[in-house]
Amino acid sequence: MVVFPPTTPAELIALILRVITSHTFITIIIFPGFIHLTLVVIFLTWYERKLLARIQLRIGPLYAGGPGGILQPLADGVKLIFKEVMIPYKASKPLFLGIPLMMVFLSALPFAVIPFGQHWVIANIDVGLVFVFAMTSLFPSMILIFAWASNSKYPFLGGLRSLFQQVAYEIPMWISTLSVVLLAGSLNLVDIVKAQEKMWFIVPAFLSFIVFFIAIMAELERLPFDLPEAEPELVAGWYTEASGAIFMLIFMGLYMKLYLMSSLVTVLFLGGWWGPAFLPQPVWFIIKTLIVATFIIIPRGVYPRIRVDMLIKTGWTRLLIIALANIFLTILLINSGLLAAWGI
Amino acid sequence: MVSLVIPSDISFVVLTAVTIIGAIMALQAKELIYGAIALAISFIGIAGFFALLDAPYLAMLQIAIYVGAVVVLILFTIMLVRRERGEEMDKRTDAAEGSMGLWLAGLLALAISGVVALAGTSLPTQAPAASLPVSDLGPALTLQYPVPLIILALLLSAALLGALVLAKVER
Amino acid sequence: MVTLTSYLIVSAALLGIGVYGLSVKRNAIRILFAVEVIVNAANLNFAAFTRYMNPPQVSGQIIVFYSIAAAAMEAAVGLALILVAFRLNSTIDVRKLNKLKG
Repeated sequence: MVVFPPTTPAELIALILRVITSHTFITIIIFPGFIHLTLVVIFLTWYERKLLARIQLRIGPLYAGGPGGILQPLADGVKLIFKEVMIPYKASKPLFLGIPLMMVFLSALPFAVIPFGQHWVIANIDVGLVFVFAMTSLFPSMILIFAWASNSKYPFLGGLRSLFQQVAYEIPMWISTLSVVLLAGSLNLVDIVKAQEKMWFIVPAFLSFIVFFIAIMAELERLPFDLPEAEPELVAGWYTEASGAIFMLIFMGLYMKLYLMSSLVTVLFLGGWWGPAFLPQPVWFIIKTLIVATFIIIPRGVYPRIRVDMLIKTGWTRLLIIALANIFLTILLINSGLLAAWGI
Repeated sequence: MVSLVIPSDISFVVLTAVTIIGAIMALQAKELIYGAIALAISFIGIAGFFALLDAPYLAMLQIAIYVGAVVVLILFTIMLVRRERGEEMDKRTDAAEGSMGLWLAGLLALAISGVVALAGTSLPTQAPAASLPVSDLGPALTLQYPVPLIILALLLSAALLGALVLAKVER
Repeated sequence: MVTLTSYLIVSAALLGIGVYGLSVKRNAIRILFAVEVIVNAANLNFAAFTRYMNPPQVSGQIIVFYSIAAAAMEAAVGLALILVAFRLNSTIDVRKLNKLKG
């Protein structure tokens, strides 16, 4: 029997065992919590380098331990930890050191509401989708603060460009998910996935899938929306002055955001954890998320960069109009009863 | 089953501290940008209060709109309005003005707290067990209060156009 | 034991802080901070009342919803005004911006 507070060592061990095997602990720490997120982020960095290398007819990481350089991210991490952290003259130290931590924290926090399986969600709250978007709307302000705190020209310009881009594409991102909410009838991510049991939402909401996909590529600052990081012009954009462990934190934050957006696409459009029953549900979720992440990574090796005025014009005008039009189309679809066969 | 529910008393105290200290620092910080960051923290504290009051949608909306948009606007304006980094844009308030402000604010807060305390017995002390589900907000917005919704939309368009016209640089 | 009164006292304290900032500070942006703090205090007040009413009403949450939107709009327009004032006078000290000339 578990007694709190424990008085004997046996009771303490029983309490610890009880905590470790509880569902809450497993979901927060192991899956889909800390350990899973860290491992996936490490895997994604390796995966991106290998994938881009194959597209560009190279080989990619090869030597760092094991076949195909699988331990390359660990080697990178160790190198970055041992590098010197240079803080620019008159830069604001607490902001410089604190903002990357906040970024990793904010990238990992929305995973608390994303359902990896029917019972593999940390917090099943009724406003899950709005929570994810509230958290992602905090990124532009953090990037701006970090860019200002670096106290030098290139990061500042890169931060402003990044701010413009991310703010412009947030709105099509939000509005295109409204079609999914209309189809599912709830803002709860678990309910949205449950409503996709018979038909994935990518079929009735195809236009909003396209808009969402383009918008998240702009949010993640991946090519072809790479302007804030334009290497020949801005060195590395808003994280130019980050070196060593700070860069590692920002890097991890960016890849965690990639995983977050990919899993959002899976939850909203690709049917979450539903799949034939020979594999467990979380495995289907991870497979679909990795496929989406592949499609987000591939354009980096293929397309040239978009000009800034085309970028902003596309975000504010074209994508927004397509997303709004798709809401009307979805309302028409639902009311016409064409989707009644699939339970919508 | 080990439960991880933090008692609401502790979270109330922590949120009060965060919100009030954030508000004070927003006004007293030497650099405007630190003030803006403290204001953002204060907003997150208020969002925590909303979540504690069983209004999760409002809490998320508060974070998304205030911290996600208004703070970005404020930061942007601060960066456009500065002359040189490190130069103080806010002279120290002298003692007479400061004490006048404190008296004014203190009397106001005391008056309101007095009214609240005098109405003590007629105010409900225990929250009703049931609280509103989030799905009640939609029908209420569109069916019960449609006119304010339309007015809000018109107001938003007016504010958007106004801000655009004002901030445009004449070439 | 958290009662309605405790929320109202927090809201009154925030109002006091906001009024202090509004009346004492010279920098226009700090005055905007103070206005936002006051609006947040009012929102907290509404949200607290809508929770403790019996039966729960949705109108309190609707008011907070509108208040958040309206305050965001007011911040946007206010900041645009501050930008224009800075461009014309190169100062945002409200003690100096007291002439309607120009």
